[in-house]
Amino acid sequence: MLQIEGIRKEFSGGAVPVTALEAVDLAIERGEFVTLVGPSGCGKSSLLTLISGLAAPSAGRIRINGRDIAGTDREVGFITQQDNLFPWRTLIDNVALALELAGVGAAERRREATRWIERVGLGGFEQAYPHQLSGGMRQRANIIRTLIYEPSVILMDEPFGPLDAQTRLSLQALLLSIWETQRSTVLFVTHDLTEAIALADRVVLMSARPGRIVRADRVDIPRPRDIFYMHDLPEFRRLYDALWHELAAQLDDFGRRAH
Amino acid sequence: MTSVDAPTDPALAGDPSRPAPAAPAARRRPALPWFSPDNVVSMQVSRIAFALVFLGAWQYGADRWFDSFFFSTPVRILAQVAYELVDPGFYRDLGVTAIEMGVGFAIGAGGGIGLGVLLARWAYVARMLDPFLLALYSIPRVALAPMLIVWFGIGYASKIFLGATLVFFITFFNTLSGIRSVDKALCDIARVMQATEWQVFLKVMLPSASSWILTSVKISLPFALVGVILGEFLVSSSGLGFRLNAYSTSYNITGAMAIVFLMMVAMLALTAITNAVETRVLRWRPKSAAERVAQS
Repeated sequence: MLQIEGIRKEFSGGAVPVTALEAVDLAIERGEFVTLVGPSGCGKSSLLTLISGLAAPSAGRIRINGRDIAGTDREVGFITQQDNLFPWRTLIDNVALALELAGVGAAERRREATRWIERVGLGGFEQAYPHQLSGGMRQRANIIRTLIYEPSVILMDEPFGPLDAQTRLSLQALLLSIWETQRSTVLFVTHDLTEAIALADRVVLMSARPGRIVRADRVDIPRPRDIFYMHDLPEFRRLYDALWHELAAQLDDFGRRAH
Repeated sequence: MTSVDAPTDPALAGDPSRPAPAAPAARRRPALPWFSPDNVVSMQVSRIAFALVFLGAWQYGADRWFDSFFFSTPVRILAQVAYELVDPGFYRDLGVTAIEMGVGFAIGAGGGIGLGVLLARWAYVARMLDPFLLALYSIPRVALAPMLIVWFGIGYASKIFLGATLVFFITFFNTLSGIRSVDKALCDIARVMQATEWQVFLKVMLPSASSWILTSVKISLPFALVGVILGEFLVSSSGLGFRLNAYSTSYNITGAMAIVFLMMVAMLALTAITNAVETRVLRWRPKSAAERVAQS
């Protein structure tokens, strides 16, 4: 499981030191899918960066399966909003990057990467360079290049943010279908409440800066879910209204203080 | 075969007994205006016409409008080029210059890329050296030529180092900029995947900087020749620069121009090779609009 205890993050680089996160506590069960929503600038992405180990918290600690993490970790994968594929690598070489870095042999890399590429419907594009692929295809590649090395915790920072609505829906469905067989622990940041509820076992709402956790709601919609029709379920509507009410209050509060 | 202009079977296309399929008919597009920059036919015609008019005026004007002693004529230069091409002495000089240029280029580019990579990784020293590098860069490098001859003698070494200094700064600054401009997000992707710092360098920074490095290699190549030729002008007993100098100091303008022409051809060939290497190594980059049109 993933435990986040008393995390605080200050950025002192600018003219005025900014506290991005304050006293954040969160425990995520093994195999749980948690989405994190909150107003822009609330520190959602900062929290993911801290868990990924690319930056260190100002206070508090992060543990995976009871072990403190210091720096980047084999067990933590990070899927970013920008696809960040390496433009000089073909699709298959991009997908196989993590295995290549770990010293896996060429034949096995190729086999594994091909399997993942076919699973997300990119078969036939193995030798294409990123600039030859559409945004949706690139984002699929971005996701499977992390899934391929099977980290037990997967952080996702608005991975479907830059995509159009239809592509986003189909990738959400794809992600759920993969996750339901893989069952890794997922912490998924989004600013889209619909997406947050549709994907999650639990939706965690953060406050405006400095980011704190305001509430966490379990989503009692059984799996496997039909991402295209679940918005009509009463449970979905109820949770959406409750969360939107809270989020709107945060936005108001934030707006007042900004002026 | 129902369609005449679309041979689907490649074997048929190669059949000599058949009339050759009219290639332009198969992919007809709306005709471009004659003076459109994209009109390939008119462009080639205009280029040839331009060259013919220029050479014709030169040939016709010799000893009518100007003294051919000073400017020679295209026909004489062509004859001289033919003469050079069967003269073993020319090949000896060409070989000397090629070796000096090759070694000078290798030292300059190797040193420039190597030091660029090193300083890009070693931020403190890079910043410390910044003003000194700028100062060195501000020296017109050819001004170093006389001293290089004092230090390295009148043999090959002084020419090699003159070529190398010209190449060094171009490749050095480009490599430094290339590695500094690597997208940090790409490095982070690799770090999250447990890449060692050496792997980050090898698999992210170097390939990402490769287009900068290759461009600098391409633009610095002619400078290697400039350095070597200049060195040969100053003091030498062989090489194309020596040959050129020997012709021009004896007022043999035809000979000098023939050598200049041959240098130009050699340089064009080298540039074509580096372009081909660049296209191959950087094939991951989006093609320019022009290339897409050519392929469609």
